[in-house]
Amino acid sequence: ESILSRIRSFEYSQKNAVLVPVATLGVGGMLVFWLRSRHKIKTIEMGDGWWGSGERPLKGKEDESIRPFKIETSDKEIEDLHRRLEQARYTPPLEGAAFHYGFNSNYLQKVVAYWRNQFDWRKQVEVLNKYPHFRTTIEGIDIHFIHVKPSYVPHGRAVQPLLMVHGWPGSFYEFYKIIPLLTEPAGHSLNEGDVVFEVICPSIPGYGFSEAPHQKGFDTIATARIFHKLMNRLGFKQYYVQGGDWGSRITTNMAQMLPQSVKGLHVNLVFVNKQGLRSMISVMLGAYVPWLVGLTREDVQRTYPFMQKNIYDLLRESGYLHIQATKPDTAGCGLNDSPVGLAAYILEKFSTWTDKSFLHKDDGGLESKYSLDELLTNVMIYWVTSSIVSSMRFYKENFSKDPNLTLHARVGVYVPTGIAAFPQEIVHTPRVWAKQNFKNIITYTYMPRGGHFAAFEEPKLLAQDIIHFVRKVEQL
Amino acid sequence: CSSLAGIMLLEVFLVLGAVIIYFLFSKKKEETLPFKEGWWGKGEKPDTEEDTTIRPFKVETTEEELSDLFRRLDQARFTEPLENSCFHYGTNSVYLRKVVSYWKNQFNWKKQVEVLNKYPQFKTKIQGIDIHFVHVKPPHLPEGQSAKPLLMVHGWPGSFYEFYKIIPLLTDPASHGLSDEHVFEVICPSIPGYGFSEAPHKKDFNSVSAASVFYELMLRLGFNEFYAQGGDWGWLICTNLAQIAPSHMKGLHLNLASVTNMGFIHLLSILLGRYLPGLFGFQDEDVRRMFPFLKKGLYRILLESGYAHIQATKPDTVGCGLNDSPVGLAAYILEKFSTWTDLEFHNLEDGGLERKFNLDDLLTNIMIYWVSGCIVSSMRFYKENLQKGIGKQKHERLTVQVPTGIASFPNELVHTPQAWAQKKYTNIVSFHFMPRGGHFAALEEPELLAEDILQFVGKVEKEQLWRKK
Repeated sequence: ESILSRIRSFEYSQKNAVLVPVATLGVGGMLVFWLRSRHKIKTIEMGDGWWGSGERPLKGKEDESIRPFKIETSDKEIEDLHRRLEQARYTPPLEGAAFHYGFNSNYLQKVVAYWRNQFDWRKQVEVLNKYPHFRTTIEGIDIHFIHVKPSYVPHGRAVQPLLMVHGWPGSFYEFYKIIPLLTEPAGHSLNEGDVVFEVICPSIPGYGFSEAPHQKGFDTIATARIFHKLMNRLGFKQYYVQGGDWGSRITTNMAQMLPQSVKGLHVNLVFVNKQGLRSMISVMLGAYVPWLVGLTREDVQRTYPFMQKNIYDLLRESGYLHIQATKPDTAGCGLNDSPVGLAAYILEKFSTWTDKSFLHKDDGGLESKYSLDELLTNVMIYWVTSSIVSSMRFYKENFSKDPNLTLHARVGVYVPTGIAAFPQEIVHTPRVWAKQNFKNIITYTYMPRGGHFAAFEEPKLLAQDIIHFVRKVEQL
Repeated sequence: CSSLAGIMLLEVFLVLGAVIIYFLFSKKKEETLPFKEGWWGKGEKPDTEEDTTIRPFKVETTEEELSDLFRRLDQARFTEPLENSCFHYGTNSVYLRKVVSYWKNQFNWKKQVEVLNKYPQFKTKIQGIDIHFVHVKPPHLPEGQSAKPLLMVHGWPGSFYEFYKIIPLLTDPASHGLSDEHVFEVICPSIPGYGFSEAPHKKDFNSVSAASVFYELMLRLGFNEFYAQGGDWGWLICTNLAQIAPSHMKGLHLNLASVTNMGFIHLLSILLGRYLPGLFGFQDEDVRRMFPFLKKGLYRILLESGYAHIQATKPDTVGCGLNDSPVGLAAYILEKFSTWTDLEFHNLEDGGLERKFNLDDLLTNIMIYWVSGCIVSSMRFYKENLQKGIGKQKHERLTVQVPTGIASFPNELVHTPQAWAQKKYTNIVSFHFMPRGGHFAALEEPELLAEDILQFVGKVEKEQLWRKK
């Protein structure tokens, strides 16, 4: 029988009278649903929040004053730290383990010896206080930030406000070396053209000197909203934003939330949802015919072998993410009580995320890129503020919901975007993949060297890319 | 439409053919697992012969150890929990403060050390490291009977102490209202790297290594035939032991039976098992415990396996702070005793811990990790076993022919139906759904577990099943 004859002999029966319309409805319904779900919302809703303890007060306006703030320490604090460092209990590493089992405790003992005997916290506090700090209450919690203005502005030059957001396990301190390159580029022999910044670096609530939220549900969207309110309170209507790690997601949310306020978005890490059939095909074909799917040679070098670099390496490095996204209070408890444990946990990231080959070194390669003073200052910020647990809770609040169903995965980013792709970043995102979410990429730069903590490790390279990006946006 | 029928028949044959070929090729070989030689001591292996003496051992403590502990408990820094978070973010620090207060003011470590020492303990060097074990013989034997050796292996974050309640039920069943048809002498070793067993100094000490070490231990103690029982890591070590030395193992009893070698059939049974349980060999209780699968299987595993992920990749990092902060160590370990006993305990402000355990027992277990400083080495066991991925190692593809008894507790994190277990354990003699209890069966429900062990051994002995392999 031919198909035609079968169709002709298609009987009209009661059964068919029901089945056919139902099937059409079903298919039609699915089609409509699919079309609607692909229609992207233009912005993320701002919403509102309250993160203080107890109930939100019904009456009275929030105190919007901006109070100057200085970091302080005491003999008691330093003595307590020293006592804990002296009583630390170590477990000898396995023979030949280097950093493959985590932070090598032989090297850790050397770091702790420096910390106890040479590291000068009082001096570091003075270093921290060299930039002006402030605190202000937003949505019920105290937000800490530093605000650095250029000391000298040439006549007629406009100063661009720039909000820079840190991540985990970093802090506002990561920006201390890059700030002068942005507020005073000429003084640091950077070819700045006509771009000069005033820099605002807040601490994410729950990190460092920003109060931790007391309520559940504090995610990057809430952070984005609070930072918008902060900039508004400082008198800025339009500003640039920059970030890596959590800072990247927060600033991206800011661009999705109030695109009219964000002049430009610059990130050194791109969160992209590599879902969908198109992405899978792109990944598979990319290894053989990269040009066909829009991958450059540099992309190929950084992305393949795909299983190794994206799956295995990621699995090996994401244990912390898994436990922090599920049991932050458990994971952080001991770290808030043992400064040595805290240092091991945090510094392991500064080793592996700076250069993956550091895993093979007995000392984790830490001092080849950073000084112990700056590494320990960052650790001390977590220690003296007791913020490790609240910093970890951020992972649970953000990963609890399926990442692909959340709002911001479906909202595109339309503000001018600049991407700095560092070679040793944990995962590489090619421009063609970033374009799925970032619709308006102005610059995309393959950086010659550097890893995850870009501002900390390669401040000059990052500053140059930010300036280059902003110059292009200003010319638009 | 003869061609239509022809097409259908062809399809049926193709599917049948595929299924037959699949089964032919997937039939697991009945190989034994080779004994794993090793030397785990420090530095180079010396030329001299290893000292094989068995030395008596007693747990000891000092004033210094206690005052150091109290100092750390006094200086503990806590972080306030989020409002209304109970145990959803991990161990609730408000409840933790209460535990620490008890620990400081009521818990008596010296008394607990005496409790630990009530059973005879020993140490002996095997493959370069000191192996600690408890060896309890029956106080009296019924006429004409001999004690059956029973090796019981603990897991993480447990210890040999988990067996202290069940040991008397097995060495002296008559005094506890149980049948004395079978009486045991119980051997509970500490896995190397746990408690009072020395930690391996070399890389690659995995479950097969532990099984090989325990095999040597049993031989050294003069046992040619024995039973083995285990849960958590003990499940895997005893399983490996059954694969290494099937002729020596009369029976294997497990309170956990995971399946790590998942295949197409498993996927199919997950998708369809709820609707066609009979087709996949699922009983009503299996369906009740396993479905909806996303909630009770996948999501649960994702939510609860963060610790395994970080311990399997960065054990030295995560364990570092825990070896330095007893409060951090307690928070980390207690969370498991809460969640793995009953998942619903998440919703309680005190994690339901004292409903099934008493603080003295919980803290004694934690103290074993603290005074021996073994938390890091205990975590390394995860990396050594899991770093190549799940389902990739040789022993995971081999089957077990030793007579096996499985006690399936309802609150175990993930349920393994008999239909799946019997693909690996080809000689299941008993499989029982226990009425209550969770992961730490020996500590939480010693009578239930003892009864199941006794009935299993009864079956094996009655028909001398070990001879029929």
